[in-house]
Amino acid sequence: MIELRDVSVTYRGGVRALRHVDLRIDDGEFVVVVGLSGAGKSTLLRAINGLIPTSEGSITVNGVEVVGAGPAELRAVRSRIGMIFQTFNLVHRTTVVNNVLMGRLAGVPAWRSTLGLWPAEDREAAMVALERVGIVEKAFVRAADLSGGQQQRVGIARALAQEPSVMLADEPVAALDPVTSRQVMGDLQRINRDLGITTLVNLHYLDLAREFGRRLVGLREGEVVFDGDLADVTDETFREIYGRAITDDDLLAADG
Amino acid sequence: MAAGLVAAYTVVAARTVGFDPSTFWQVWSNPLWEKFWPIPWDWVLDRHNVLDPLVETFQIAIVSTLVGCGLALPVSFAMSPLTSPNPVVLVVTRSVMNVVRAVPDLFWAKLLVTAVGIGAFAGSWALSVFSLAVMVKLFSETIDGADPRPLEAARASGGRHVPAVRTGILPTVLPEYVAYGLYVFELNIRASVVLGLVGAGGIGRVVEAQRQYFRFDRVLGVLVLVFVVVFVIEQVSVAIRKRLV
Repeated sequence: MIELRDVSVTYRGGVRALRHVDLRIDDGEFVVVVGLSGAGKSTLLRAINGLIPTSEGSITVNGVEVVGAGPAELRAVRSRIGMIFQTFNLVHRTTVVNNVLMGRLAGVPAWRSTLGLWPAEDREAAMVALERVGIVEKAFVRAADLSGGQQQRVGIARALAQEPSVMLADEPVAALDPVTSRQVMGDLQRINRDLGITTLVNLHYLDLAREFGRRLVGLREGEVVFDGDLADVTDETFREIYGRAITDDDLLAADG
Repeated sequence: MAAGLVAAYTVVAARTVGFDPSTFWQVWSNPLWEKFWPIPWDWVLDRHNVLDPLVETFQIAIVSTLVGCGLALPVSFAMSPLTSPNPVVLVVTRSVMNVVRAVPDLFWAKLLVTAVGIGAFAGSWALSVFSLAVMVKLFSETIDGADPRPLEAARASGGRHVPAVRTGILPTVLPEYVAYGLYVFELNIRASVVLGLVGAGGIGRVVEAQRQYFRFDRVLGVLVLVFVVVFVIEQVSVAIRKRLV
């Protein structure tokens, strides 16, 4: 379970990215977060795994407090939270399997991972993760030689290799074409269902949110302005979250 | 305007140091230059005279490249804001390396000859320090420019600092590291020729000894040989570097 209580994040320079956010996400939920760029979606995800320090409030993941946690505690929390990035964040000049092994860093002694002497069980776990996203045959290909959709699958495999209880996906399909976007969202949905991993996905496209999400959280200028079942969401709801009329840019179908 | 100022200052500077174009013939018609010819190839190609010291130069360059570049790997990561473990380490390593770099390689050689005595041992140490300084400068700037996003991914998965840098950044900058290492090796070959002049071993010792005996024909022979060796090593190094980056 993820619980945010009265969370505010203020960046150096005084920009308030999150304001008094209260949010409770139960185990196994699939939550889509929408909002304009700059509304605080990325900040929200990065506050949950402590990549961005929280200025005020409390964030607990599976009962462990993230705000003010020491380096060792923070590493322990992060090891159970997989993260997927808009730009995939792969190391292009090495193999796919080496990228996936980064998901095993927390559980392997520092000297082993530094020397590249990964234990057999961790190599095995990396291959299992690649199998789950269907690109195990690419394990020994350089990451740079993959297509965008394949690269994002490697990103997902890297997160899965952590055997996480929570998955945070920051605009995972923003850099992909419509067909690949649906495939990647389908992967995330399947992983959520099959493995029961609590999943938070930041999305820009409203139709994609509707297609894959169950619960919707709307952010506007750092505040939660909507939190509810996607079945109850109308175009009017999106207009309120975005503070403007919906345009073709907000729809994947029209974009493609 | 600017060109005029430079020209005017050049005239002033030439007068100050006593440089006068009319001394051209005085310098280049000196009988000294005739002593360079003909090259005594029998002497030059004798193993003990030139080839053995040349091999020593090569060995100094190999050892100091490996020691200097080996040390430069962790130091460079400590020196880049992207990968430094903390701000204190960053400032300390940057300051120390700035001081090291401010001291010329020839001066390092003199210092080390004074410290550990004349010979290739001192030369190896001097060039190790020199390699470290050059390598750290080049490589830490490459790290500065590396894509930071995989590092964020490594940290997000709960990785410690060193393994995160090792897996998230090193593969990206490794080809440049090897390329710079080869380049530093080239520099070391050339530098270790000069280092012999101050007693730090290698082929430079031969050049200096023959110069003192006014055997400029032998000096020229040695320099021709050195030129050939340096040229071959550079060509090989450039070819490898092109494949890397």
